[in-house]
Amino acid sequence: MSATPSPRPAPARGEALRSVAIALILPVALCLAWETAVRTGLAPGRLMPPPSRLFRTAVVLAASGELQTHVAATMTRVAIGFGIGAAAGTLLGMLTGANAPGRRLLDPSIQALRAIPSIAWVPIFILWLGIFETSKLALIALGVFFPVYLGTLSAVQGVDRKLIEVGQVFGFSGLGIMLRITWPAVLPIWVASLRSGLGLGFMFVVAAELMGASEGLGYLLLDGQQMGRADTILVAMIVFALLGKLSDGVLVALTAPLLRWQDTVRAQL
Amino acid sequence: MTTLAIENLSKTYADGTEALRDMSLLTHSGEIVALLGGSGCGKTTLLRLTAGLDRPSAGAIAIDGNRMSGTHPAISAVFQEPRLLPWLRVGGNIAFGGRRIDPVERRRRTAALLERIGLAGYGTRWPKDLSGGQQQRVAIARALIGHPAILLLDEPFSALDAFTRASLHELLLDLWMELRPTILMVTHDVDEAVFLADRVVVMRPRPGRVHAAMAINLPRPRNKLTAEYDLTRRNVLRAIDRSLAAERTAAAGGATVSPWL
Repeated sequence: MSATPSPRPAPARGEALRSVAIALILPVALCLAWETAVRTGLAPGRLMPPPSRLFRTAVVLAASGELQTHVAATMTRVAIGFGIGAAAGTLLGMLTGANAPGRRLLDPSIQALRAIPSIAWVPIFILWLGIFETSKLALIALGVFFPVYLGTLSAVQGVDRKLIEVGQVFGFSGLGIMLRITWPAVLPIWVASLRSGLGLGFMFVVAAELMGASEGLGYLLLDGQQMGRADTILVAMIVFALLGKLSDGVLVALTAPLLRWQDTVRAQL
Repeated sequence: MTTLAIENLSKTYADGTEALRDMSLLTHSGEIVALLGGSGCGKTTLLRLTAGLDRPSAGAIAIDGNRMSGTHPAISAVFQEPRLLPWLRVGGNIAFGGRRIDPVERRRRTAALLERIGLAGYGTRWPKDLSGGQQQRVAIARALIGHPAILLLDEPFSALDAFTRASLHELLLDLWMELRPTILMVTHDVDEAVFLADRVVVMRPRPGRVHAAMAINLPRPRNKLTAEYDLTRRNVLRAIDRSLAAERTAAAGGATVSPWL
């Protein structure tokens, strides 16, 4: 409880720019050093192409529209798988968190399933769901489900009993408490669990696409390996990094209005 | 006109702690009753039972003759901590107490209360931006927006400094004059009890029970600097002393309970 109005500790604009500049020193220096090493013939650059080659490869892939096709395929898979996994994880987490019989019934089984490494589901998903989209989406959804489920469950169990009592004293019960107290109280942890779920979604989309796909960034990785094109592989990896960062940023931006009330240092992007 | 009757109430917790034994209390409409006692005398337990947040082990609480079970629309509460909902703005927190009021009226009352508690213009702030005293003002407004017949106060001023506490006493009395709820408050502060209450009930610990009850017949507004005030205060202190002495000499259990005043 603060005695004075406490504005969010936001660094001044100049300071923010400076920390970005400091963070860039190392990667930029490494890129320049590698570029120089390859240009001067000190390094061959075939398996580790210099930044200029990567840039050219990216431009060529983008100009042909190939890159966009792969990005679209991957992002569609992540979006659908994430949506399903996050929705299921949230609903089940709320259910088992708020309801002791439900928790005793469901949670042990869910925890048992969690003990299976998610990638181990691949063969059975392929047998059950075929080698096309459905099995890929199932794998991604499964990967997203567990962190969201666990986060939501523990957040619901961690809701301050004192605030629940406030809801009771002012005439709310059951669903009213759930919507007016529990749900807003779990939002910060829920958002954090969505973010780790999204990270896992990207991990599993790669796994799914490596197993056999005709498009997607994972396919591009595999294609680069088979063609001996290190530049293609590295471009795909960089695009993965950018997409992951970008979608995490979008998720944080979308959920920020829900968390403005928090009396904490805002989560770093 | 609402009467609150607490009849032979007992509470033993699951761990065996006997928090309250055979407690009876009858409040009259619009009076302020202060339950005074040290820790372990069951005052907070009594308030929680009255709020409907816990179930008694024996005995009953009745409002206008109807036994209550669970929370009751006529009963509202301010807790020791403000317990504002951090995700609602200040205005939203006040309005939260007015669940049963029609929305237009709720908005009107919220605005009026914000003004009354000296926080006009703070309606769209977040609770975290308020000081402890301001937060407790909001909690009082939230408890009163529904015009409850009975207001429970669980040491709501104990965490505040003396200046803030005095100003909140004034605020509470102002609002009480206007809305006239019956107030059942728990405190360990003799001054607070004498300044606010029409009746002080001194409680004894282990198990919690009534030791003595006395009427405070000082005219309002009360002046803490008069001889009568001092005398009343000393009477209350004497009762507390006797309760402590009785506790030292009493054999465990079996003490009789003084009747209602």
